[in-house]
Amino acid sequence: MAMKYLDKYPKKFRGTGGIRPILRVLRTMIKTTLHRPVTILYPYEKEWIPDNYRGRPGLRFDRCIGCGICMRACPTTCITMVDAEDDDGKIVKRPQVNVGRCMMCGYCAEYCPVDAMTTTPDYELAEFTRKDMIYDPRRLAFEGTTEMMEVHLEEHLQSNLDKGIEDKPTAFFDTDRPVLDDDLCIGCSKCAKVCPTSAIEMVVVGQNAKGRDIKRPKLDSTKCVCCENCVIDCPKDALKIEEVL
Amino acid sequence: MSELSRTGYHTDKMWVTMGPQHPFSHGLWTLRVKVDGEYILDAEPEVGYLHRGWEKECENRTYAKIIPMADRLCYSASMTWSHLYCKVAEEALDVEVPERAQYLRVVADEICRIQSHLMWLAALGTDLGNLTIFLWCLREREFFLDLNVRLCGQRLTTNYPRIGGVRNDMPYYFERDCMRVVDRFENSLWDIINLTDESSVFVSRLKGISYLTKKQVANLGITGPAMRGCGVDYDVRRDDPYAAYDKLDFEVPVLKDGDAYARYRVRVEEMFQSCEIIRQAFNALQKIPKTAPYRLKVSKKIPAGTHMAHIEDPRGDALMYLVSDGSGSPYRLKVRSPVFVNVSASKAMLDGCRVADIPAVMAMIDMCLGETDR
Repeated sequence: MAMKYLDKYPKKFRGTGGIRPILRVLRTMIKTTLHRPVTILYPYEKEWIPDNYRGRPGLRFDRCIGCGICMRACPTTCITMVDAEDDDGKIVKRPQVNVGRCMMCGYCAEYCPVDAMTTTPDYELAEFTRKDMIYDPRRLAFEGTTEMMEVHLEEHLQSNLDKGIEDKPTAFFDTDRPVLDDDLCIGCSKCAKVCPTSAIEMVVVGQNAKGRDIKRPKLDSTKCVCCENCVIDCPKDALKIEEVL
Repeated sequence: MSELSRTGYHTDKMWVTMGPQHPFSHGLWTLRVKVDGEYILDAEPEVGYLHRGWEKECENRTYAKIIPMADRLCYSASMTWSHLYCKVAEEALDVEVPERAQYLRVVADEICRIQSHLMWLAALGTDLGNLTIFLWCLREREFFLDLNVRLCGQRLTTNYPRIGGVRNDMPYYFERDCMRVVDRFENSLWDIINLTDESSVFVSRLKGISYLTKKQVANLGITGPAMRGCGVDYDVRRDDPYAAYDKLDFEVPVLKDGDAYARYRVRVEEMFQSCEIIRQAFNALQKIPKTAPYRLKVSKKIPAGTHMAHIEDPRGDALMYLVSDGSGSPYRLKVRSPVFVNVSASKAMLDGCRVADIPAVMAMIDMCLGETDR
């Protein structure tokens, strides 16, 4: 390797005549006359942007399961879960984004376990009032959402790499699962109520001294997306997320 | 001491306040200079107008949420700052980043370095009154920002490195685009050099002002290209290698002159070297299979302890110090901004210069207030 610029400059002999600078200027002049202009007339012409551009977040309403992972992953807490009517008229939880606060980091799309949240190439977001900046779940939908706008979480397990196994990439919603501390659980079945995928089922495991049923949550790990709703809502902190690394 | 006080022609000494809104300041900061006629006797930088409480805000965010915040430390070196944050978190977690991610980070860092240096050269052009340099540099910079869009979806706030790897693999067309841009850029940088080095006006504005010795540099803690222009042969990329820099062959430009012109030349040569690093990194990336892992799954919590990491920012030696208490968010995250230290040396840099030299001298530390005030 050698220096490219420092070997040439500063030039020791700066030349005597004026012909070289004139030739240089002529070259640049011809170049700039022949080239297209590098600027564009912005509001009328727009620059081409790729599909993976991180503009405002977009939502595919029917794919969303209302787990709230996007809400917790958001660094600026611009996402809140609100009640919305789905196509059948049922009330469901869906994310609402305050785009005025959004920093376009794309975390909501990255952590979404069902690829319902996407990034969109929509960047012209100016509105007249701040209230208009709040996008409700239906307004978040973006027409022409493509596969490129999805952001996939493709992580490899470190323990597998250490053993020399190179399997398919996974994500936290495939591997991490809540585990129950049996001594702390009071069987209130709150976890089963908040679970967005109904992966938790309360099963009777026995009867106490008064003859009442003792209930314990049973997890269907194929349905679970590790949204931590049960962990947060547990009144006795009996549930904990077990991370697979 | 200035020349004037030696000759005996004294005028009344007075303090002149430049800033916070001054064309030379490139942001919100004030430089108070004590002048004796045309000569500068003393200088005092005042920073803090852009203080956002960045370090404190990190303390109530989880580790993953700090990465997009680290992007916003500096508008033109976002990639290196988020890389630095991920590096200190990886060191705390004791995670070895996959090779593919290491090379991708090198490519992203060098794109960031080139566009940051181009922003500096553009600003230097306007400071010295040559608007053509400004326009040409920003035209070239736009191509590198477009590369950022292709790689991670945003021009400036990249949010690309992750703890344990990078956000996404490069798209299939990225290497082709990157090679085209780098080849084109090397040619057009010579055009820009024709405007600067071939112009005796430009050179005479920089040559022979603001001399710093090696000893002064060591005492004042100046790092980065400003240090290498004063003859100190140190670059974190080579001397304390991180990512894949130890597997790459590149030169660190060092000049013994120690004046503002030397600092300018070091930066221009660094842009050429960055192009070379990008080429070598892509050669190495071709040998790694495309299905190779680029991101590791890491724990959300970092075990208790103190950890430190530093990397070569376009502006100097950037350092982060992390104190974790075993929870999901840091107990303390300290940032050592290179510009904050470099600007504190403005008295030594400006001593004996004229008032008209201030823009040229202060442009050489490439001021960025986002990381200075944090």
